[in-house]
Amino acid sequence: MMSNALIWRWGSEQVKTFLQILSYGLMSGALYGLIALGLSLVFGVMSYLNVAHGALIILGAYLSFWLYQLWGIDPFPSILLVFPLFFALGLLLFKGLFAALMKFSEGDKIKNSLLISFGILLILPNTIILSWTPDERAVTTFYSGAVVDLLGWRLPYTGLATVALAVAVIAALHVFLTRTYFGKSIRAVSQDFEAAGYMGINVPRTYMVSFALGVALASIPGAIVALQGINPDLAFALPNKELIVVILAGVGSINGLLGAGLLLGLVEAMGVFFLGAAYREAVGLLLFVLFLVYRPQGLVGRKT
Amino acid sequence: MLELQGINVSYGDLQALWDMAITVAEGEIVALIGSNGAGKSTLLKTIAGGLKPKAGTVTFDGVRLDMLSSHEIVRAGVALVPEGRRLFPEMTVLENLEMGAFVERARKLKKESLGRMFELFPILENRLKQSAGTLSGGEQQMLAIARALMSRPRLIMLDEMSLGLAPIAVKSIYDTLIRIRRATKITILVVEQNVRYALKVADRGYIIENGRVVGHGSATVLTNSDDVKRAYLAVG
Repeated sequence: MMSNALIWRWGSEQVKTFLQILSYGLMSGALYGLIALGLSLVFGVMSYLNVAHGALIILGAYLSFWLYQLWGIDPFPSILLVFPLFFALGLLLFKGLFAALMKFSEGDKIKNSLLISFGILLILPNTIILSWTPDERAVTTFYSGAVVDLLGWRLPYTGLATVALAVAVIAALHVFLTRTYFGKSIRAVSQDFEAAGYMGINVPRTYMVSFALGVALASIPGAIVALQGINPDLAFALPNKELIVVILAGVGSINGLLGAGLLLGLVEAMGVFFLGAAYREAVGLLLFVLFLVYRPQGLVGRKT
Repeated sequence: MLELQGINVSYGDLQALWDMAITVAEGEIVALIGSNGAGKSTLLKTIAGGLKPKAGTVTFDGVRLDMLSSHEIVRAGVALVPEGRRLFPEMTVLENLEMGAFVERARKLKKESLGRMFELFPILENRLKQSAGTLSGGEQQMLAIARALMSRPRLIMLDEMSLGLAPIAVKSIYDTLIRIRRATKITILVVEQNVRYALKVADRGYIIENGRVVGHGSATVLTNSDDVKRAYLAVG
């Protein structure tokens, strides 16, 4: 804090703005990590590319919004309600739509899951529009817009909570996957599902639970998005960020997601600072292309 | 203990096994020998539930294995060490062993099983925290066998253990196999291209060619048979 204070006093207005934009970048980055989490888990375990994950996040955001509107439940604790609900939704989606893909080769799993989830991506936002109109909504709580002010360095509570939540959720998932028997079996299935079956692991059940967990994880960024403002169109904007973060982290890497999200957030922030807000998406995509060319395995991805 | 009758298996339109019949008695070591592509690995995969026969039955102690999926077959007491070892490369040695003990019955005995594995394969105990992908070929094969044994099987099937291993590693693995059998009375079904080794440890053998059983007999009879000598032992 001391060094920051020094910069504040002696630094130019530019340095101040730079740091401000940088910290906003990191806060968006934490959210990027969270939105990619479920998608990455599902893709890593069973090679299903669920492009409807973003639409599910938006649906989660709407549920959060209505829970707040109707019963005054704050978005953060509302995760505790939406998470199990989404887990059940994930089980239903898997049983009804995705289970049949299990027998396919990896390439066919990707293609067919893409088709099915694209269908969901088309249906969900329209259902949201029909149910709740296309109006922009946002949860406005007592802490919305409130900031911690450190000598002019302004950090919004929501952003700080996002960073804390991202760290906690990714750490919890890491512990689940490395410390529990079931979590380890998920990793075993993702590395070699056939061999996992020969070890006595129920592969279809592992697929089903992992898929449902992936959907349930959409509830967490959903709550944060509800605080920032939502409309049905966001369902189409999110897959972009999700896929970039998944590639940056390395396909199937959960541990790399936070770093990848933060990196994307930071680079976007730099783009805003040096080039202007219009270039925010462009620099993100540029980073994506650079990774594809020079480091396709991602930050901590598997070597192939 | 294990009985296969009239097994037909196809990959799409391509039939790999034709009317196969094989029996393995409790406590036996049986070797399936034959050239590359004869269908030996296909047969083991079929027993382990990785492939479903188009016709025929696989019975293990009165249980129809052909009606069960892989994980249920492990629960029934049959374990497979797949060809190419198929370890979980990014998991540690310990985690691989834990996955072997996934079925509930075996999970309760995990500690004791681990102790046994360290006796059989002391090298694994020194490598517990290392990821399986970083082990040498011989060590990986030992881990693959230990992982299968962790499920406490009554029948263990080993597919092409010697493939890609140095002769000394092959010998050490076969020595261990003989020790395991002496200690546990486990029933063993091996598929092996190294016919000499296979017939040295086995009680009986089946010769498989083009997806059919073309001969069987005791290991001694097979070792001395002129056909086997000419085709597989490269003598005479």
